[in-house]
Amino acid sequence: MVKNIEKSHPADCFLHADPVSSVWCPGCGIGTVINTFIQTVEKLNIDLNEICVVSGIGCTGKVAEYLKFKSFQVNDGEVIKYAAKVKSENSDSKVVVFSNNADFLVSGAEDFIETGKNDVNILVIHINNIIYTITEYRAIPTTPFMRASINKDFELPFNIPHLAKSCGARYVARWTPLHAGWLMYSIIDAFYKKGFSVIEVISPCLMYYASNDRMADAAGRMKFYDTNSVIKQDESTENLDIRINNKIIIGKFVDKK
Amino acid sequence: MKIFPTGVKVAQGEVHIEKDICKGCGFCVSYCPMDVLEISTEFNAKGYHFPVVKNPGNCIDCGLCGMLCPDFAIWSTLKEKKEVVEL
Repeated sequence: MVKNIEKSHPADCFLHADPVSSVWCPGCGIGTVINTFIQTVEKLNIDLNEICVVSGIGCTGKVAEYLKFKSFQVNDGEVIKYAAKVKSENSDSKVVVFSNNADFLVSGAEDFIETGKNDVNILVIHINNIIYTITEYRAIPTTPFMRASINKDFELPFNIPHLAKSCGARYVARWTPLHAGWLMYSIIDAFYKKGFSVIEVISPCLMYYASNDRMADAAGRMKFYDTNSVIKQDESTENLDIRINNKIIIGKFVDKK
Repeated sequence: MKIFPTGVKVAQGEVHIEKDICKGCGFCVSYCPMDVLEISTEFNAKGYHFPVVKNPGNCIDCGLCGMLCPDFAIWSTLKEKKEVVEL
């Protein structure tokens, strides 16, 4: 598609020119996920008009601004509901949701469950960066113990793959941004799955480690996620909680026909 | 780097960097398998240290730097395939 690959980036035809480079912090995992998604679309050779991207609020909400697909940025908590509506109106298009912790865990969780029960054919890429980045240091359902909270809220982190499986998702996987090749083949699998599919990406966030000198380096932060994760394919989703002393289990967990 | 045996055709790649888009996260430098890049001592327009090519002959066009870059600032292209004659 790009004529002169030596002079411009091969992904430039999928991006709006003005906002690049992006607003995200140096070393954020969201950019890598978008890079992987664009390479997937390039590899599959899909028409740009067939793909519809929906994103919500916060850092992940900016995804819709940058991509040249049919993209929508919607209100807090209405992402999955909106995507299901788009899919019911345009049954030919492939609908991809980039969601945040705020988009379906805190508000809009019932839409997630309802969409899963109805088995609407959409792909949800959930970027889980442990905290609310914009309202700093507030504990949310996925925060492991009381690290990020001022109020010292004590709560076990939420298990998103288990929720997705119990809602009836046909494809559930979890990766980190560093496993970009695995993530790419997961997105390809989920694209051709006729049903509700969820991919969780555990992404490093700069704000979570802002007070930690050991984690000040962006590449070192990514290395921490690399060394503390272990690939276990087809693991039972009940064991996938994130605990402080255990390793993060990643892989493909559910693949139904 | 003495990795490939003799008589094997190895791809020769070329790295392209847009230094003013870079934010200096260092993913490409720390995860390059062939040790091609290094962080420069200069600053770009935004005040970040961008990567520069240290060993241009080592690049094998694996594309990992382009895959991990969050800001679409680095990519590699295939130049030619050269035969490894001598270790």
